[in-house]
Amino acid sequence: MAQALLVALDASNFMLALLLVTLGLVILFGLMNVINMAHGEMFLLGAYAVVLVQRYGGSFWLALALAPLALGVIGLVIEEVVIRHVYHRFIDTILATWGLSISLKQAVIIAFGPTAQQVHNPLPQTVEILGTLYPVYRLFIMAVAVLAAAGTFLLFYQTSLGLVARAVIANRPMAGSLGLNTRRMDRMTFAFGAALAGLAGAVMAPLMSVDPQMGVGFLIPAFLSILVGGTGTLLGTLLGTTLIAGAGTVVSSIWSQITAQIVVFALAIVVIRLFPQGLTGGSQER
Amino acid sequence: MLRIRGLVAGYEDGGRVLESIDLQVAAGESVALMGRNGMGKTTLLRAVMGLLRPVAGGVTFDGSDLTGRPPFEISNAGIAYVPQGREIFKDFTVEENLRLGLLGKTGMAARVPDAIYGRFPILAERRAQRAGTLSGGEQQQLAIARAVISRPRLLLLDEPSEGVQPSIVEAIAATVSAISREEGTSVLLVEQNLDLVLALTTRCLFIENGRVVAQSASARLADDSGLLARYLAV
Repeated sequence: MAQALLVALDASNFMLALLLVTLGLVILFGLMNVINMAHGEMFLLGAYAVVLVQRYGGSFWLALALAPLALGVIGLVIEEVVIRHVYHRFIDTILATWGLSISLKQAVIIAFGPTAQQVHNPLPQTVEILGTLYPVYRLFIMAVAVLAAAGTFLLFYQTSLGLVARAVIANRPMAGSLGLNTRRMDRMTFAFGAALAGLAGAVMAPLMSVDPQMGVGFLIPAFLSILVGGTGTLLGTLLGTTLIAGAGTVVSSIWSQITAQIVVFALAIVVIRLFPQGLTGGSQER
Repeated sequence: MLRIRGLVAGYEDGGRVLESIDLQVAAGESVALMGRNGMGKTTLLRAVMGLLRPVAGGVTFDGSDLTGRPPFEISNAGIAYVPQGREIFKDFTVEENLRLGLLGKTGMAARVPDAIYGRFPILAERRAQRAGTLSGGEQQQLAIARAVISRPRLLLLDEPSEGVQPSIVEAIAATVSAISREEGTSVLLVEQNLDLVLALTTRCLFIENGRVVAQSASARLADDSGLLARYLAV
């Protein structure tokens, strides 16, 4: 029982962090039809932002606040310099963002070296939940991620800005013809997606080995979540990340990390075979 | 007001549809554009709206050059577009569709004014309904309402009678001509339906192989079957 609870908590933990990375990826894909191979590096840079701030004596909490802001700015620059020139050429966007991913990774290696960095845990205490001890910091991650994800959902489905974003996703030429500023929407979305991934990287940094490969470790499950959940609604993203993170955590707790990988990929293959558009279908009116 | 000079445009792969279009629409004037399918009428409207990049020639509106500008800027210059096939947002409610006609406009309240529901009463009844559940005629009215809600000075209408039953076409004609008359909105109408052309426009241009080849007063079309036979009969 206690064991099951621990696994469930760990699964939620991973799922929520994954959700933050995946949300940006899926909104961007819907809006600009761009598959951003460099999205994992936004997560990576978020984690290294914490390393950098701590190196100069800043607190972890300061770093956690600065990371999404910094990544938002980096996202804006990337959109302006790279993405906007290629977004209407689908295959080229994969190539361009992949190149960007490699460059960012190498830049991190040049600046911080190839070895893993340590970020100390700011909340090392544990707390008792239904008779089992659980790290407080993991609960903090969940709270941050729930707030950020709920905020994203509210922004997307309850505000005028979200309505405009969804209109551009549904029919970009028509949205533009109605006077909706599609350029500004692209920029804001890219910055927002990068900021969410940066927040995820920063908040996860104390739990992970912060090294130049950590972005890929999140990018692949994020893509799998999108394939499984579908790109039609953000609810699909929620479903996809729950399945991928849930299956991965549960299986690795019973057997091993390797078995978990195999099961997750097999699960993805089965879902995609049965639901080629993902569980909630593809984008509407494409 | 709208002035198109030597406009050349076509598909992205380089296939030309518009060879060299010259036309003008004066302030408050309503002009019809007729011609057989594939002659470039829809392409012309798309090029004016900035959805297609012209190869040569230019579009000016009230003296400012709109050539090559993105659609959202052209819309904000005062040109509204009702495309063929309507292209309403099917998954959004009627009210949300209308709000989208306002949200991108600088200096305009984002609230849907009651006046628009006064002009299109059926939309008031359906305001909370998903737009995809409306009938063809209702969807057409929604597309027009969404375009005129921002009080544009020029309305581009592409085949508003397509897939709409005749009684509704009549109602649409009455509403659009009332808007045009009361608000001074110019109309550039692409249409095959003669009744609608007669009801809405004063002047008619015929387009063939990407050029404007003839024009006539719309009122004359009813008597002069020769023009229609020459430029419209298949």
